[in-house]
Amino acid sequence: MAKKRPASNRRRNRAPTFDAKGWARHHWLCCKDSALSLLKSPISSALTWLVIAIALLLPTLFYISLQALNSQADTWQEGGQITLYLTFDTEESSGRQLAQELTARAEILRTEYISQEQAWASFNQTLSLESNLELAENPLPASIVAIPVQQSQADLEALLLMLRDLPEVNDIQIDLAWIDRLNRLLDLARSMVLLLSLILSVAVLLIVGNTIRLSIESRKAEVQIIKLLGATDAYVRRPFLYLGLWFGLLGGIAAWVMLTAISVSFQQRLDGFLGTYGLDAPAIWLNATELSLLLLTSVIVSLAGARIALWRHLKDTDPS
Amino acid sequence: MIHFDQVSKRYDGGFEALSSVSFHIEPGEFVFLTGHSGAGKSTLLKLVTATEKPSSGQVRVDGQQLKSLNRREIAFYRRKLGIVHQDHQLLMNHSVYDNVAQPLFISGEHPGDVKRRVHAALDKVGLLNKEKFRPIQLSGGEQQRVGIARAVVKKPDVILADEPTGNLDPALSRDIMNLFAQFNDIGTTVLIASHDLGLIARLNYRVLSLKQGQMISSPFGTNGGTYG
Repeated sequence: MAKKRPASNRRRNRAPTFDAKGWARHHWLCCKDSALSLLKSPISSALTWLVIAIALLLPTLFYISLQALNSQADTWQEGGQITLYLTFDTEESSGRQLAQELTARAEILRTEYISQEQAWASFNQTLSLESNLELAENPLPASIVAIPVQQSQADLEALLLMLRDLPEVNDIQIDLAWIDRLNRLLDLARSMVLLLSLILSVAVLLIVGNTIRLSIESRKAEVQIIKLLGATDAYVRRPFLYLGLWFGLLGGIAAWVMLTAISVSFQQRLDGFLGTYGLDAPAIWLNATELSLLLLTSVIVSLAGARIALWRHLKDTDPS
Repeated sequence: MIHFDQVSKRYDGGFEALSSVSFHIEPGEFVFLTGHSGAGKSTLLKLVTATEKPSSGQVRVDGQQLKSLNRREIAFYRRKLGIVHQDHQLLMNHSVYDNVAQPLFISGEHPGDVKRRVHAALDKVGLLNKEKFRPIQLSGGEQQRVGIARAVVKKPDVILADEPTGNLDPALSRDIMNLFAQFNDIGTTVLIASHDLGLIARLNYRVLSLKQGQMISSPFGTNGGTYG
């Protein structure tokens, strides 16, 4: 604005002192009034916050499923166990010692030594051979099963190289591709959840923005009047921002309620299904942090939608 | 108090509502602004309320250059004015009390003060018993008086009124003019746009006359009371 105007001119229109109490009073009034206005037209306001809720529900559901998968991923990673087949001339004592040495390494979670006899016994058991097969000699080698800690593909490959060089080791078996695939799949799912959240956040932004725009339009005459009475832009914006805040909060809470309802009805079926695999079903609901994050996101996005609508349309309500 | 210096207002499309208007109104003065409809009365008032900006020239009120004010400063500037509109401009879904209290809410007055001052203002216009009514339940004259109560509730430095007696009967018009005169007596500057020449003639105040956007009466004269 004009830079050269006399100082006195500038001072005169400023509020004499900042009236914190009056300001807080108006915030409280706007907060209360906008909540009441939502209650007064429950159907039309419900339409808005239900749409917000559904838009939030979708990515949250994906997120929860992903969390459930993640919590199982450690169990599945065991599919990536490394089996070291030892040479036949390795004594059992040195085999056990090697297993202990490997356990001491940071890259390896735990190991299990399987002697030739154990291997033979479990082989027979698994095949349920009623000892019809009699061999003069046990053809199975002793082995060490090593479960690596979760680590990058490169680290895992380095570990394998090291293991292959051990003199006692004859052969190594590992399903690296499976681990790789699992990690990539989880990565893909994570970025899809992120993308979906972004897209649907924009939807929430537009929904709230449009609702606030309609609200501004319907109260245009009122806003023009109070502007002529000396209301600042901030004063005019306040009730609309609170409206946005309530939409966000209600939408967030509704999303959470729907999510909980879905979780409860699914948990039982999931338990039953995974139970047939002997697995424990993970909990599929939001913890306190995730719930607050959901509500906070909803409120912030809604406020942003309201603010953008105000920024675009508040000038239309200047008195004419 | 109100200074116009060579003020012109041209709207988009070339229509010139005011051309080179100059006058000034002293603090505490009571001035009528008259002229046919379309003569520029409303435009002139809009320039004073900073609703419109002049195309050229300068408007100063209480020493402030209006065109140098930013949006926030305009809001604070308007709090010093009491504006009465021809069409009342009331908030239709609020009570009479809330309507009159708006200016006090906007400046964040304490609720206790608000009540006292709103009651005083409603008492002045004789509507104390109707504070809980909605504007729609009132007659045109009563709505106009609500508008006046709202304009004076903050004891403004300047009262601006656009046809405040437009559709009131003569007795009521006189009452309302007396009310403005009372405020003028305690030092408030009053500028009233009206084409009710009979009423203007009876009151001995300075008259500014506009015709097709130009000031035709002596802008610095002291008495135009018999003009008409």
